[in-house]
Amino acid sequence: MARRSPARVIGGRLLQALPVILLATFMVFALLKLVPGDIAVTLAGDNATDARITEIRKLYGLDRPFLVQYGSWLTKAAQGDLSQSLLTGEKVANSIGRAFPNTLLIVVIALILALVTGIPMGVVAAIKPNGWVDKIVSAIASLGVAIPGFWLAMILVAEISLKLNWLPATGAKSFAVSPWEAIRHALLPGIAIAAYGMAEVARQLRGSLLEVLSSQYVRTLHAKGLSMNRILWQHGLKNVAVNLFTIISVLVNRMLAATVVIEAVFAIPGMGSLIVRGAIQRDFPIVQGVVFAMVIVVILVNLIADLLCAAVDPRIEQ
Amino acid sequence: MTGTTRRELMALMTGAAAGVALGGKAIAQGAPKRGGILRISAPANPSSLDPATGGAGSDHAFLFTMYDTLTEWEFETLKPKPGLAESWKFSDATTFVLNIRPGVTFHDGTPLDAEAVKFNFERNKSDTKSNIKADLASVDTVEVTGPMQVTLKLKNPDAALPGILSDRAGMMVSPAAIKASSTGNVARTPVGAGAYTFVSWADGEKIVVKRNEKYWKPNRPYPDGIEMSIIPELATGARSVTAGQNDLMYQLPPRQKAILERASSIKLANGPTLYVFQIFLNWAKPPFDDIRVRKAFNFAIDREAFVKAALAGLAEPAYMNLPKAHWAYDKSVAGLYPHNPDMSKKLLAEAGHKDGLAIDLVGYPDQDSVQRQEILIEMFRKGGMNVTFKNAPIAEASAAFFGAEKRASGLLAAWTGRPDPSLTYSLMYTKDAYFNAGRAPVPAELEAAIKESRASEDIELRRKAFATVQRLVMENAFVAPLAFQFELVAMNKKVQGYKPNLLGKPKYDDVWLES
Repeated sequence: MARRSPARVIGGRLLQALPVILLATFMVFALLKLVPGDIAVTLAGDNATDARITEIRKLYGLDRPFLVQYGSWLTKAAQGDLSQSLLTGEKVANSIGRAFPNTLLIVVIALILALVTGIPMGVVAAIKPNGWVDKIVSAIASLGVAIPGFWLAMILVAEISLKLNWLPATGAKSFAVSPWEAIRHALLPGIAIAAYGMAEVARQLRGSLLEVLSSQYVRTLHAKGLSMNRILWQHGLKNVAVNLFTIISVLVNRMLAATVVIEAVFAIPGMGSLIVRGAIQRDFPIVQGVVFAMVIVVILVNLIADLLCAAVDPRIEQ
Repeated sequence: MTGTTRRELMALMTGAAAGVALGGKAIAQGAPKRGGILRISAPANPSSLDPATGGAGSDHAFLFTMYDTLTEWEFETLKPKPGLAESWKFSDATTFVLNIRPGVTFHDGTPLDAEAVKFNFERNKSDTKSNIKADLASVDTVEVTGPMQVTLKLKNPDAALPGILSDRAGMMVSPAAIKASSTGNVARTPVGAGAYTFVSWADGEKIVVKRNEKYWKPNRPYPDGIEMSIIPELATGARSVTAGQNDLMYQLPPRQKAILERASSIKLANGPTLYVFQIFLNWAKPPFDDIRVRKAFNFAIDREAFVKAALAGLAEPAYMNLPKAHWAYDKSVAGLYPHNPDMSKKLLAEAGHKDGLAIDLVGYPDQDSVQRQEILIEMFRKGGMNVTFKNAPIAEASAAFFGAEKRASGLLAAWTGRPDPSLTYSLMYTKDAYFNAGRAPVPAELEAAIKESRASEDIELRRKAFATVQRLVMENAFVAPLAFQFELVAMNKKVQGYKPNLLGKPKYDDVWLES
């Protein structure tokens, strides 16, 4: 089969993304409308009469049929206008532009931490399966999976921020303004999310490595007289790279989801806080905007992972 | 949405100062000094920074920094005092004259004169997006009767007006800013005449204001500016103060008190407010259409125990919609429903529920609300009622209960009371009022008494009318009041001069920072 150019792969993928974006935003919109209670009650303020709430619905176009409302949002979105918050009037694109870097920084820090700790753990565990090192790694990994991120987050705040006063307990700073301060603020939330990622990386890596190490060709490498170290780091890891990229893409997506809770604990104005606020107030342009942005991010992450996989394993392209 | 919103402030408390007992106070030490940035943890993003188009009671904490009001109130009593209006008087029952303070300008330099005040009144009354039309329903026409004098012609006597003008309806917005705005409001670009001018608002993140150098009150404000960080998770907000990232946090839940008292860097202030936890009842449908069931429900509640268990003792048991400190409090009504589970069972048996009664309520799903529900469920069980709560977020629960759906028989929420009770009562206990969930009729004498309470300026006449109102509401058991919550504020030790107020919405008038 002929090799397809990367550009065509990317183009094809982006085209496939369109129905996903449509479906995701439509489903979220439908869910928001199905849930009882609407923003008109909030907009009308306290003491509002039924008549006033009806008037508000009309004023903000909330009385139009469901599909018409979705359609008008979609038309605008297609033109690059994510419209504005019904409640406060802030442009949704501005809200996202401010929130996304905060979330991204946490996820990047969490991912780096997860890989830096998880990869060595997975490798040392795979050298002697069922040895004592492996057992310790398994125990740590089980803990990492089992401990809820928000709980770990609160323990970290209590010990590291409030008792030792090493890192800030809440808030976020702009990376563009002061990278060092931004990282200091994002470190604890990053660690809280990284615990799960570390466990996942270690477990998956151990599993795939064991599979590779028990294969025939590794036996040949042994027979050739290669040292265990070289087999492991040079041949073993290269062979599990595809699995690793897949794990990373799944992890990034899960970490993005985890920020919803973690951002609440650390009072970080990120995407998670934004969508929670939008959903609670039924401020649907905000929710739609965040979902729209997140779908694009997830699709991009998956695309990058696929391209990387294809780069290390040519079989995948076909 | 009574849980978090509270809009009008109806303060007409002339001569009501006596007998008001305030709780803890933060007293300033040393001479106040200028400078520093006051950093605050605020629990909610404002709905709008335009006083006319916003809707949430939590907005005031932001609005008060930028907008001054025609009348203001005494912190302890909520008695109206001069603000942007130097003086006012009812020249007859339906003519209300306001004399505007000379020499005040808005942040954009527009003079604050009679024309500007008239502009605001007319906008508040007629702008399609104005949420405060109802506040000014009694106002018929607004006339400029002098360069600094505005006269309101009223449709009917309204003794609550001086109080109303200390809230949203009295917050003066620069007419020039409104006219220049493409949206017809200043929701994101507030221009008032308050102590601070607007700098920036990042939704859900932070609001920044800086000192108004031309502010009319001498030597105020002390800080150079205020930064209000929006932190909806209250425990996180409290931690931000403990860790020194913020200086002050208001609206703390009582359970935080014990935790914060252990932090040596923090001091606490608390004081009573009119915020009352209560169970709204739908008396248009079973089981609460039966007065015996409503009474049984009220007898089953041990309010003293509720205050201790659910609110860490930082509250006053509520037997009606007014706390003891209030001038219209009627002592005899307070004795109507002592805790008496046997009486509950007896009344239920009379109503035909000898073997117990299942009651479905709605509530909110946050931790504090659920804790309150658990405590109440046990009390009702002892009174022969099997109460279950279905929880939903505030907007959904209140829309489902008060709106068209009429879900459940009752709603555990709160009423953010008004110092002048006339609106409280007309909003909840008149036929077709929104907070009368069943829109069911009430006794004619109750409606009449509510009307009477607003008709006269005379405090004794009003007190008598409110006593009648209160007695009729509780004799009919139209509501199950639980407790008046105290305001709890945590501060860094360098914050001086902060005073809680009876309204429970923070004002930072005399706050200064020790360096």
